[in-house]
Amino acid sequence: MSKNKGYISLFLLPTIVLFLIVYAVSLVVLVGTSFTEWSTGTKPIFIGIENYVKMFTDDSDFRRSLLNTGIWILLQSTIHVLIGVVFALILNMKQFYWKFARTVYMVPNIISGAAVGMLFLCILNPEFGAVNSIIRLFGVSDFSQNWFMDYGTSFLSVTMTWLPYAAIVSMLVLAEIAAISESLFESARIDGANEFQINLHIIIPMLRNIIGTCVILAGTSMLQKLDIIMMTTGGGPGNVTLNLPMYIYRTALMDNNFGYSNAIGVFLIIFGIALVMIYRGIFKIGKTNE
Amino acid sequence: MNKSIIKSCLSMTMVVAMTASLIACGTNGTSTDTKAADTQVADTTKVETKAPVKLTYPTYRVGTHASAAFEKEQLAKFNEKFGKEIEVVVEEIPSDTAYNDKLKILAASGDLPDVVMGKNGINEILIKGNLATPFNEYMDKDAEWKSEIGDAALASNTRDGKIWSISDQKQIVGYFYNKEMFEKAGIKPAETWDEFMTNCDKLKAAGFTPLAMMTGENAWTTNLLLAAIVGSSDAGNKFMNTLHPTSFETPEMVAGLKQIQVMLQKYTTKDALGAVYANAANNFCQSKAAIIANGPWMIGDFSDKTKSPEGFDKKVGISTYPGNGSFSTYEVGYMIGSKTQEAKDAAAKFIKYKTSIEGQSIALELGNVNPLSDKVQPSDAFKQKYPLFVETINVGNKSTLNYQVFDSLVFPNVTDAWKSLYPELAFDKATAEEIAKKLTDTSAKNK
Repeated sequence: MSKNKGYISLFLLPTIVLFLIVYAVSLVVLVGTSFTEWSTGTKPIFIGIENYVKMFTDDSDFRRSLLNTGIWILLQSTIHVLIGVVFALILNMKQFYWKFARTVYMVPNIISGAAVGMLFLCILNPEFGAVNSIIRLFGVSDFSQNWFMDYGTSFLSVTMTWLPYAAIVSMLVLAEIAAISESLFESARIDGANEFQINLHIIIPMLRNIIGTCVILAGTSMLQKLDIIMMTTGGGPGNVTLNLPMYIYRTALMDNNFGYSNAIGVFLIIFGIALVMIYRGIFKIGKTNE
Repeated sequence: MNKSIIKSCLSMTMVVAMTASLIACGTNGTSTDTKAADTQVADTTKVETKAPVKLTYPTYRVGTHASAAFEKEQLAKFNEKFGKEIEVVVEEIPSDTAYNDKLKILAASGDLPDVVMGKNGINEILIKGNLATPFNEYMDKDAEWKSEIGDAALASNTRDGKIWSISDQKQIVGYFYNKEMFEKAGIKPAETWDEFMTNCDKLKAAGFTPLAMMTGENAWTTNLLLAAIVGSSDAGNKFMNTLHPTSFETPEMVAGLKQIQVMLQKYTTKDALGAVYANAANNFCQSKAAIIANGPWMIGDFSDKTKSPEGFDKKVGISTYPGNGSFSTYEVGYMIGSKTQEAKDAAAKFIKYKTSIEGQSIALELGNVNPLSDKVQPSDAFKQKYPLFVETINVGNKSTLNYQVFDSLVFPNVTDAWKSLYPELAFDKATAEEIAKKLTDTSAKNK
């Protein structure tokens, strides 16, 4: 056993070294410079917790980006995962269309986020976009809603570029369902349970761990959502669709304020860790069903 | 026992191989072995076998960019002439935005390429951090190069006596209009801004959308209109020729924003809000809008069958802005980011070629770019193909009022802010005064 541990450590060594070089060093620099005033061409000057105080007391854009990020995390953790689980349960029935449906549903998830953003810019274009063109076919001749730039629809439009596309969740849940013993289903059918009851009372409770994992993945994906927002609204109109990653990008590369953007970055990391711990607590991930 | 030794050896080999491959990923591929071998060759051939100096040159003038054709030609010609002494390692970056972001990160990490295009605030960052090499020494030694650039172009990029960048083109920007639409609406290019707004009403009454505007990216076509409005008064003209204005809360700016608000609400295409340059250009080229504020690099698009219908170039006219104004500025141009003297000299040589009479001629003929030097004149074939370009030069000569574009004057974060602020203005979520205040606050955030 100790021999195996030795080999295990040896094989883990390159990965640990890489992790330390790429992530750990970067993390230390990030945290250290978050307490400084630092811009390109100047040396970092220590200013204590000024950046952190400013975030919460004197920056309305930060507060708005935090609120938007929180809403998107909530929506992604609930509705997005729900869509994915329901789709997986439907696919599990293995009707004649299931393989085709599974493949088609994967398509939005295998295209890059930037490409999805560009696609939606065209689909939702006020002049020639598919959505407005279809609506005009139904008799509303002058319909030219600016989905991304209108205050009333921009947040929803941006959200819809990622919310329904839960193929990854579906695939993970489907794989977990496949691991459930067939004898359980047979016993339930013998006892007179229909498909809905089997889904509700047998399958879903056994999916606790994987659903919890999907909730964590979905929620934390919102902490790194930058590409689609950058391609579509850029965080606008105003700051309606601004999220934390977009705000970090703006602060670092537009305002040239690396110290402050690093402070927001540290906050984002802490926020993400807290989120994961909360979700693990809710779903009791890793604990067996009692 | 033997099996155990073999297993241990194999494991160690795999671990070393994995570690080595991870470390090797980050190493530079340049080899000094060739150089070492070369120096062992006989003395008479020493100069010929000296390895060329490598220059790193990222460029956004690639793909479908309006300047891609002349960039490619300049690089090819430079390699023909100087390829044995200087090797230009080109990195293609697909957009201006991506270029700006990359250069800022490289500047922050102290890893600048040898030749940098200093536009969109990159020059400010390099100057502030003393990361670029001024050209004074090179200009002092090379009177011919200096005369090819011209004193005005050099002065525009000089700060505290140091020439930080060499411009590669002069911008003369008026606005293009669809002559056919103007004729049907019974109007001619406006001489005052009131007449300009009346013309927009008449175009609308005739069934045409007056303006091809955009608020995405850097809101280029919209900001040209705003700058021309602001720059048409004395105080506004001073503002539009002042670098890094700290306050946008001036009567001229507020009045200009109000006028832009009306334009965005009544006189432009439905997709103007959030539109990128391609949308605005397409709207004009496809005759969906009558007017577009833009520069001479667009002229080639009017006869490009992939962008405009056949014969569209005959329908396009060019005018000065009301008040007889035009944008007349020198581009920021190229900067030297090299660290070693050898690389600096090579970079200067590369930049010298690109901004020489030959380089300027290539840019003119293939990119419709206004040259710096009067010695560069369009060929007869060019004049015949692009008569509108000749008109552009006349616009520049005729105008009595000159101003600069916002991108040259304001901080990068202000350039980025327009895309968020114009929708607020267009949807009446903020007044012109409030937008002016937000611009001021944004400018103050710049470090």
